[in-house]
Amino acid sequence: MKCGRAFFLVFLCILVACQTAPGQPPQKPAPSGTTRRKITIAWIPKGLNNPVFEVGRSGAIAKAAELSAAGPVDVEVLYAGSVDSDGSEQARVIDDTVAKGVNGIAISCDDPTACIDPINRAFNAGIPVMTWDADSPLSKRFTFMGLDNIKAGHAGANMLVQAMGTSGKVAILTGVPGADNLEERIRGFKEGLANYPNIQVIATVVTNDDINLGVQAVEDTMQAHPDIKGWYFAGMWPLFADRGSMPLWEDAALHRGMKTIAFDALPVELELLRDGYLSGLLDQKNWFWGYEAVQILYDHIVNQKTYPYFVDLGYNIITKNNVDAMLQAWDTNDFTKPLPPP
Amino acid sequence: MIHTFIKRRRFEWINRQEIIIFILLVVVVVFLSLSTNTFLTANNLQNVSRNFAWITIPAFGESLVIIIGGIDLSVGAVMALSGLITALALRFGLPIPLALVAGLLAGSIVGWINGTLVGRVRFPPFIVTLGTASIVRGIIFGLAEGWPIRDLPLDFRYLGQADVHVGPLAIPVPLLITIILAVLVYVILSKTVLGRYIYSLGDNEQALIVTGVGLPRLKTIVYTLCGALTAVGGILMTARLGVAAPTAATGYELNIIAAVIIGGTSLFGGEGSALGVLLGAAFMQILLNGLVLLGLPAYWQSATLGSMIFLGLLLDLWRQNRTAS
Repeated sequence: MKCGRAFFLVFLCILVACQTAPGQPPQKPAPSGTTRRKITIAWIPKGLNNPVFEVGRSGAIAKAAELSAAGPVDVEVLYAGSVDSDGSEQARVIDDTVAKGVNGIAISCDDPTACIDPINRAFNAGIPVMTWDADSPLSKRFTFMGLDNIKAGHAGANMLVQAMGTSGKVAILTGVPGADNLEERIRGFKEGLANYPNIQVIATVVTNDDINLGVQAVEDTMQAHPDIKGWYFAGMWPLFADRGSMPLWEDAALHRGMKTIAFDALPVELELLRDGYLSGLLDQKNWFWGYEAVQILYDHIVNQKTYPYFVDLGYNIITKNNVDAMLQAWDTNDFTKPLPPP
Repeated sequence: MIHTFIKRRRFEWINRQEIIIFILLVVVVVFLSLSTNTFLTANNLQNVSRNFAWITIPAFGESLVIIIGGIDLSVGAVMALSGLITALALRFGLPIPLALVAGLLAGSIVGWINGTLVGRVRFPPFIVTLGTASIVRGIIFGLAEGWPIRDLPLDFRYLGQADVHVGPLAIPVPLLITIILAVLVYVILSKTVLGRYIYSLGDNEQALIVTGVGLPRLKTIVYTLCGALTAVGGILMTARLGVAAPTAATGYELNIIAAVIIGGTSLFGGEGSALGVLLGAAFMQILLNGLVLLGLPAYWQSATLGSMIFLGLLLDLWRQNRTAS
């Protein structure tokens, strides 16, 4: 029985340890003999379960290193988040970073309402908070930096029309039904197609943010509508699967002139674009989620700079004309160089 | 005595539940064949049969656990873990057979831990497997650092993507493996002492204690088998997609348990079969495929899945009431 209790205690310890995965802030030792001021910025994604946030984290760390090397203040990034995207878990993470005494918080809100109270608690504790990617507009955050998803949806529609022409059947792929940013992307896309009455949106299929379900949804739709002329992927879920996973989609893309526009610009998508499977990508600048957020918080904390209600981060349009430059940015982990026109 | 009683109940059950599901399956297939010109095509049937493998194989394991009166909520996480361990092993340059063993071992170990905690420490299976699911997901994210693992060897991907040609038929490898495992689970349940004990444990645990069978060991074996079968499903899914994502199979426990219940495995324990699971999973997969082919909004898929679970539960309840009366 003692053995059982010990087992249970170990089990509980591991369970608790697995709930939150704190990031590893880069440590920069202060030069000997000098005392430099240090600020810690908590950079909190919706969840640790999406690789695009890893890209943003990399940008945050790059900016922190840049600022530390150039200025009088050492900047440390604390990457913290819950494993799954969950509003209540994220509230706990915000409270934890406040308790830790960080100097600023940059957060992508899992739920706009669930974020209000913890953000306001941080504000009342004297910690400035900004939101990025996903906002909590009714909270006391001082600015929101992100993408205008409706505008990006319009751009997606224009890109698809340019690629496939002004008539034919198109389908939409989305993630978890009801997610604000995805619904806005779809709304923008449909608004963008409103001027083209001969284009028919014949299906909107969901992936629940799952690669396998994404692959199945695309293939089932291709099976049901073999004459489909265009796809609009509001995210990149099925594109993570290797070549050969979506034979119908791949065949239509390579041999039957079907066009696909997708969000994000991860290396796997860039390779698909370069090889003719995709016609264009809408890069929502994931790396700058971290890079610009750290700069904004630094300027706000150190230089008392103020920011407007919304900072439009914009998006890059990636086509065959600038895909190589984007691939090079990935190779060098430097996304600051301007891309050639699409 | 117990043996005869169980045999009789299993015989009655075969005559009811499997036939009901089989009839429903035929109705859905006929309806989809008549109402769409895309359902009854070789390509679509291949896709459906390929995709249902990684729900069906873990469902075999889940059915064993449910037959003994337990539940395993860690199956989704175990699928992701076994796929990830296999992919990592391949990335480290291990030969494919060894990488497969590593993935299988990972799933079996989680199953063994579940079985030990349920059987020996006597914790409730619901809490134990929920806990291990959380631990396993944490380990997965730690190992993968948030990124999916790609660029897996072509020979490995064949396991999920290739077909075996038998005459004019091209049978997807995952379907072939599913059938082989269905036969194996059928043999275990129907032709071995272990199978008899499994039914007895779910049917009347006290009676089994009297016979002197080691219950903790039996439960450990069943949960370990469930872990191993789940691992096969996870590995096949990884091979099919050519990617091991840390988020893979999130929430699949619902689909897997749904397949088990629809297939006639009783949540009250003591009843169930490999054929039932096979039919239940096929029914579920074909219905979900049909929703897309018919052009129904995908937003309703989740509601459909939930309704199917209720259908399975109602059939189970109806069966229990009939048996009682």
